[in-house]
Amino acid sequence: MDEQGCPRCKTTKYRNPSLKLMVNVCGHSLCDNCVDLLFIKGSGACPECGTAIRRSNFRYQIFEDAQVEKEIDIRKKILKDYNKKEEDFDSLREYNDYLEMIETIIYNLANGIDVEDTRRQVDSYKKENKDAIRKNQSKLSRDEEYLEMLIEEEEKTSSLRKQMIHDTEVLEKNKKRREKEALIDELMFSDMSAADILTMHKTTARPAEAVDNSSFQPSQTTRYSTGIQRGQQSGLIPMPMTEANPVYHYEDLELERCGPIYPTIDDIIEVGYLSNVRAASESERAGGFEATLCCQRALQDALGGLFYYPELAGQSTSVM
Amino acid sequence: MFASSTHLKFWTFSGENEIKQLRAETSEKYLAKHASGLSEEERAKEFLTQSEERQLVRHFEYVLKEFCGKFQPPMPKCVVGTSLAFFKRFYVHNSVMDYHPRDIMLTCMYLSCKVEEFYVPIGQFVKNLKGDREKFADIILGFELLLMQKIHYHLTIHNSFRALEGLLIDLKTRYKDHCDAEKLRKIAEEFIDQSLGTDASLIFSPSQIALSALLASSSKEGINLDNYVTGTLLLGSSEDDLQKTIYQVKRIRYMIKNQEPLQRELIQIIQKKLEKCRNQENNPESEIYKRKMEEMIDEDDEIRTQKRAKLNEGRETDHELFGPLNPI
Repeated sequence: MDEQGCPRCKTTKYRNPSLKLMVNVCGHSLCDNCVDLLFIKGSGACPECGTAIRRSNFRYQIFEDAQVEKEIDIRKKILKDYNKKEEDFDSLREYNDYLEMIETIIYNLANGIDVEDTRRQVDSYKKENKDAIRKNQSKLSRDEEYLEMLIEEEEKTSSLRKQMIHDTEVLEKNKKRREKEALIDELMFSDMSAADILTMHKTTARPAEAVDNSSFQPSQTTRYSTGIQRGQQSGLIPMPMTEANPVYHYEDLELERCGPIYPTIDDIIEVGYLSNVRAASESERAGGFEATLCCQRALQDALGGLFYYPELAGQSTSVM
Repeated sequence: MFASSTHLKFWTFSGENEIKQLRAETSEKYLAKHASGLSEEERAKEFLTQSEERQLVRHFEYVLKEFCGKFQPPMPKCVVGTSLAFFKRFYVHNSVMDYHPRDIMLTCMYLSCKVEEFYVPIGQFVKNLKGDREKFADIILGFELLLMQKIHYHLTIHNSFRALEGLLIDLKTRYKDHCDAEKLRKIAEEFIDQSLGTDASLIFSPSQIALSALLASSSKEGINLDNYVTGTLLLGSSEDDLQKTIYQVKRIRYMIKNQEPLQRELIQIIQKKLEKCRNQENNPESEIYKRKMEEMIDEDDEIRTQKRAKLNEGRETDHELFGPLNPI
């Protein structure tokens, strides 16, 4: 924002970084001072491109790129009219085609391609589907309902909590006040010495606090922990059934040996190979190393490849 | 494991003949490139013959083993095995005249230290060498990637040492009443050390070599392990497999027993000859090599400046597309 600067007063932007840029429908940005100036004079044209604009059309710029802002505006307008939801279509393909069409329209309008045709297209769509559009605008889709419900719930719980905190604070204050008064009464009227009375009050005060803290209970929730409301029947969206994939079947890995059969880990332990191998020290075992591992490796090395024989026809093998 | 390893699939040959043939092809390739016009006798005079190459390689394998023995910190045996394996594999497909064995030997050792999880920093590594240490460090680091490339990045070597351990464990567990396994260990390990000087690891599987070592050691100690082999180790396998394994074992023992001794006197002469006929592009001390290195660095710089220029261009075209950010 700071590098760009407002195109009209340029300098003011750099000097005042808190100045906000506002953007209009043609995608050009102006700082809010310049916007005010522009409309005091009563002129209704963008300084860069001369498109007629109204003050209400200025929005606070969120994105740095003015193109993006322009596209956001166009998108909002288009989506107000093209507001069909997924449920309104028979197949996923049709819905996707519809979405694709919307995107094409937005793209064309944002980049100034075929603006005339696109506008005509939009107008004709609006006329044809006037009723449907109106109906959809009033109907919230299911997702939005769910979200609204969640938001409500959150608000309820947070307000409940606030209430509880407030109540406990009030209780605390009252209790403290009462204790102080009781102490003063005792000091005035009782027969015991002042020190005794003080110690007695201290010891009685502390366990009372402990009891208070533990008695704070969470309020009755209206939800199960999975998020489903108590007592509400399904607004459950069923999981789409995937085609049954072939069930995975585990098969043991078979390694080629080229030699006699290796002893397994169990064999190694039972047959007694371990007594002929150095035992693993404590620190080694702590790291996960076991004597069976290196014993197995040595045995595999000794047995593997014993039957290796070069089966090459037509090559005289050697020395003997 | 070994049966599914690159060691078996790419670097195990059918016999000495096959390896000899591959080495001959490698020599031929080098000579065709560098000695194209010469006649047979001239070639033999100026360039190394195959037997000379073989002698030189075996000599440097021996030097490698010696160096590993004296290395500080003490090098575990698997590192020695791995570096010898790299060395042998390298010289199956590359000629001695192309890359000097001394450089490759050091590089093999450095690389195998890394591969076998016994990492030695280059500074400490060259402390074990006598001479210009920085030069050696440069050589090693310069050839490291080349070495890996020439062995096709097949870095996992299955050595026979662990196989021998496994056999000893098995012997102690399942056959302990009949023999004392610890007595066999020393001679078996020596056998495997000797086998590292031959091409056995390029032909046989490590478990077969370990088994031969065990049997050689047992025959020296006068213990008969035939019952162990047929009755316990290879119990349950087919007759065919049994026969084949025994045949392989015999081959290995024969090969190790009949190693030709190295002829020290010839080595000096061969080395002098090598200095004259070697490929100077790969000689880190030659002018050509140094020039090539400089050219490579210059190339890198050039590429970098080109890239930078392209990026700047790109930035300018971006400006043109979107127009100046500031209207007016």
